[in-house]
Amino acid sequence: MERDGFPHVAKLKDGSSVEISLASAADGPALLDFYRSLSDEDRLVLKDDVTTPGWLARFLAKLEAGAATSLVARADGRICGEATLHRNLHGWSRHVGEIRLSVASDRRGKGLGYALAAGVVKLAIDLGLEKMVAYFVESQSAARKTFERLGFRKEAELARQVADIRGAKRNLLIYANDVSHIWTAMEALVEDYRPHEGQ
Amino acid sequence: MARTEIRVGGLGGQGIILCGSIIGKAAAIYSGRHAALIQAFGPEARGSACSAQVIVADEAIGYPYVRRPDILVLLSQDAFVQFAPQLKPDGLVLYENELVQPEGKLPATARALGIPATRFAEELGRRLVLNIVMAGFFTGATNLLSIDAVEKAVLDSVPRGTESLNLKALMKGYEYGRALVAPT
Repeated sequence: MERDGFPHVAKLKDGSSVEISLASAADGPALLDFYRSLSDEDRLVLKDDVTTPGWLARFLAKLEAGAATSLVARADGRICGEATLHRNLHGWSRHVGEIRLSVASDRRGKGLGYALAAGVVKLAIDLGLEKMVAYFVESQSAARKTFERLGFRKEAELARQVADIRGAKRNLLIYANDVSHIWTAMEALVEDYRPHEGQ
Repeated sequence: MARTEIRVGGLGGQGIILCGSIIGKAAAIYSGRHAALIQAFGPEARGSACSAQVIVADEAIGYPYVRRPDILVLLSQDAFVQFAPQLKPDGLVLYENELVQPEGKLPATARALGIPATRFAEELGRRLVLNIVMAGFFTGATNLLSIDAVEKAVLDSVPRGTESLNLKALMKGYEYGRALVAPT
């Protein structure tokens, strides 16, 4: 069933196509396969150990509760990329969503990351969120460029926050995209005070 | 000559004027009919009484004010108290059922249909789209305008980037309204 414009087919720079769809519980086993196929180095920059059934159960519970919304990209019958919008349904940051993105190594540099991230940014705006954040290790320049194209800018840098696979300490960059202006315009529209009209 | 008089009433900051404007635009621009909109608001922008008078007609509108509304769209109790006695005997009241208690004041033969529009808007992500849920409810419950025309009016009226959520709000209200008036 189509929802929020998904599923849709995205054409990549190399001419190949992937189908991007909203993730559901049925995607669980394929998601685990995807994450287990990533290299140790790739997995190091992820916040969770995404190779365990326990992680999958927590992830699916978040999807069910609406605390996460995820897009998966499929090609040749397997998942080759995933982007998730995580959000707090309660508390002082409920207007903020965090975006996490992973793309299979053989699909990188072809625009898949951008397609997934753009889809999640749209979902975030559609959910009424005002701000999105994404975390990067300083070495993830391609990923940062992808998010910069979507309006994200570096908002903070935490020194020596990340230990890489060899134990070297790296800086963590926090990128943010504030889209509150979109809703400011809507707020102005519902103010119900238009003294300029009819003049 | 078919002439439908509509009063949208509530409080400033609820998007009353926008709701009325969408109904008028859908009629005049996207349905080839005639429409007139008169807006009234209190001295403050937020929280004061606010209402829109909308006329939808098949012919040119000579008198643009609502005298006896056929349809009331109400988002506050004060608006209900003020406008309910003006409703035509066989008129229709569409009200936000967490903000309005439609007790007394209505003609005995009038119909009243409620919708939890605030809750729907909050569930969709923004309380701000409450008025669009009501525009959808109006469309589904009255059959006065096509949903296509109202959808175009919404897209024409809301800021860029908010279209998708506003359309979801419109459809939420529309489907709720359709379900309420569907023959059982």
